[in-house]
Amino acid sequence: MGHPAEQGLRFFFVPWYTHLWGRLEELARDTHRKYEIRCPVHGFIQIDDWERQIIDQPAFQRLRRIRQLAWTDLLYPGAMHTRFEHSLGVMHVASMLYDSIVQKSREVLERHLHYTKEGLDRDRRLVRLAALLHDVGHAPFSHSSEDLFPVRDRGGKKFGHEDYSAAIIRTELRSAIEDHPLNENTGFNADNIAALIEGSAAAKRALFWRDLISGQMDADKMDYLIRDSLHIGVQYGKFDHLRLIYSVIAIPDEKERPPRIGVEEGGWHAAEALVLARYFMFTQVYFHKTRVAYDIHLREAMKALLPGGHFSQPEGTGLKEYLKWDDWRVMGLIGKGKAGEHGRRILGRNHYRVVHPTPEVCSDKDLRELRAKKACLGGLLVAEESAKKSWYQTGITDIPVISIVKSRHVQPLSRYSKAIEGMKDNNQVLLYIDGADREKAEKRMRQGKVQK
Amino acid sequence: MSDIQSARLATIVALAEKQPRLGRTAVMKLCYFLQTLRNVPLGYRFTLYSYGPFDAGVLSDLSTAEALGGVESKTVLYSGGYGYEISPAGRRRSVKSLGSGFIKKHGSDLQWVVGQFGNFGSADLELLSTIVYVDRESAEAGAKQTAGELSKKVHEIKPHFAQPYVQLKVAELQGQRLLKSLRVASGSR
Repeated sequence: MGHPAEQGLRFFFVPWYTHLWGRLEELARDTHRKYEIRCPVHGFIQIDDWERQIIDQPAFQRLRRIRQLAWTDLLYPGAMHTRFEHSLGVMHVASMLYDSIVQKSREVLERHLHYTKEGLDRDRRLVRLAALLHDVGHAPFSHSSEDLFPVRDRGGKKFGHEDYSAAIIRTELRSAIEDHPLNENTGFNADNIAALIEGSAAAKRALFWRDLISGQMDADKMDYLIRDSLHIGVQYGKFDHLRLIYSVIAIPDEKERPPRIGVEEGGWHAAEALVLARYFMFTQVYFHKTRVAYDIHLREAMKALLPGGHFSQPEGTGLKEYLKWDDWRVMGLIGKGKAGEHGRRILGRNHYRVVHPTPEVCSDKDLRELRAKKACLGGLLVAEESAKKSWYQTGITDIPVISIVKSRHVQPLSRYSKAIEGMKDNNQVLLYIDGADREKAEKRMRQGKVQK
Repeated sequence: MSDIQSARLATIVALAEKQPRLGRTAVMKLCYFLQTLRNVPLGYRFTLYSYGPFDAGVLSDLSTAEALGGVESKTVLYSGGYGYEISPAGRRRSVKSLGSGFIKKHGSDLQWVVGQFGNFGSADLELLSTIVYVDRESAEAGAKQTAGELSKKVHEIKPHFAQPYVQLKVAELQGQRLLKSLRVASGSR
C-alpha cells in the first residue's frame, strides 16, 4: 500500500477507456461459446463458458502446480503431469459415463429416482462440475503429504483432501459457480457441488451419481490409470475404457434398495481389466520402493517447512494459507536448503533404501519374521511403510453385472471374475534404512541378534 | 498393526459372534451405529452414498479379519440378486484377542447395537443409517428440524422408499431417543 495521494495519482493515470473496454468485453462475451482443450489421453476436452470461468480461477489454476504423482519422476522421468490435466480428464470421463447411463437406463432413472429431462440435464452439469473440482483441494505433491493434514475431531480423525476441495468450492469458487449467466438455467449453489464430493445429505438424489466420482469404477480411476501409464511409459494401467464406458448402466434393485451403477454382461471383462490395472499400477508404480522412499522424504521435508509441522485447517485464514502451498513453493524452499536433511536427500537423490520387503500378502509367519527383522535392525531402521490396499471390495460396492441372456439376472463382478474373486488385499510392509548402513543392517539380520 | 486396526478387527469378529450370518451391509451399518450412536472410537470416516453411510475401510478390515481366520464369508444367491453371510471362523479368539481390552470396554455397546439393529434387512439398515446420518449432519450444523422435515430430506435421498415408510422409521428412531436434530416441540429431547 502506498501513500493515499500516490494511489489517487495512479488511479488518475489509468486511461478512462480501460474500464469501459473491460465492461464492453464482459457484455460481448458469448456465454454459449464452447472451448476445446487438447488432452494427451482423450484428444479434445470440450468445456463451455461457465466451466472456463471456474477453471480460470486462481484456486483451480493452482492445480497446474501440483504434480499428479509427486516425486515419481525420480524413477520414471516422464511422470511430470499435473492434477490440472487429470481434473479435466475426470470431468470428460464422468460426462461420458453419465451420458451412457442416461441413454441406456432412462426408464430406471425415471421410475426409481423420479428423474425428468430437466432433472437429468441439471445433474449432468452437477456431475461434470463435481468431477472437475474433486481434486481442487489437493496438497502439494498430491497424496504424498496428506499425512500432515490436521486432526479434525476428538476421535483423532484427520481432514482429507476432499474436505479442502469442499471448502474451496464453498469459498474461493463460489462466485464463479453461482454468478455465471448460464446458472440461471440450473440455479446451482456451490454447496450442491461440495455436497456431492464430500457425501452429504444436501446432494439429495444426486448421491446416486457419487459412484462416478468416488467408487470402484469411477471416472477418477478410469482417467488416472490411463494418464499415469501414458506419461510414465508403462502399459500396466491400460484397459479398454471405452468398452467399459459404453457398458455402464443403472441397475434397479428388487429389494427396496436404490438402483446401482453396474455394467452389462458384455462389459465385465473391461471392468475386470480396470481392477487388474489398479493392481499392476499399485505394485509397479504407486508402491514402488523408491517412490515410497521419496514420499517419506517429502513428508519429513514438509514437516520442517510447515508452521507447526502440519497444514492449516480448511476454514477462514487457514484455507487461504493452505492455498499458498503448491509444488513450486515447496521446491523453491527445498532448493534454498530450508527443508533440512530430507530436503537435501531429495535434491541429491540420496534416498532411504529398502532392507526388508515382506510379500505382498503377508501371512502370520511373514509378520513374525518382520518383527524379528525389526528387532535386529534396532536403531538402523529409519522408516516402516505399509501398503494396506484393497483392489476390489465385495459387498455393497461390488459392481453389479446384468445378464441380457439370462432374463436380466444380476450377479456381482466378483462372481463373474475368478481373477477378482481370488485377489487378496496387499498388506506389504517395507523396512527402510540409510543407504550407508546397508552392510551393517544385512549383517545384523543374518546374525539374527536382537538389538537392545 | 496399529491399536485402532486391532480394535476394529476385534469388533468385526465380536459382531459376527453375536449375530451369525450377518450380511456385509449389516457389518458396515452396525459399525456406523456403534461409532455414531454409541461413540465407540472406531475411527472410520463415513460419507453418504445413495446406499447410506459408507467407509471402504470397514470392508477392508472385514477382508483382513477374514484373511486372519477370524471370520468367514459365504456368497448367497437369491432370485434376482446376491448377498453375503459373515460368520465367526476358527481363529476368532486369536483375532479378537488383538483388541481384547477394547472389546471388554465396549461390550455393552456391541450388545446394544446387535440388539437394536441386528435383525433388520439390508434395505432397512440403509434407510435407518441414512436417517441417522442426515440427523447428525443437521445437528452438527446447529440446525433444528421437525420429524416431517427430516423425513422429507431422507426421502429426497432415497425416493425409492414410500414417504410414509420413511416417516415411520424416523418416528421409531425418535421414539428411541436416537435423533439429535429434532425440535423439542415435536416430542424429542
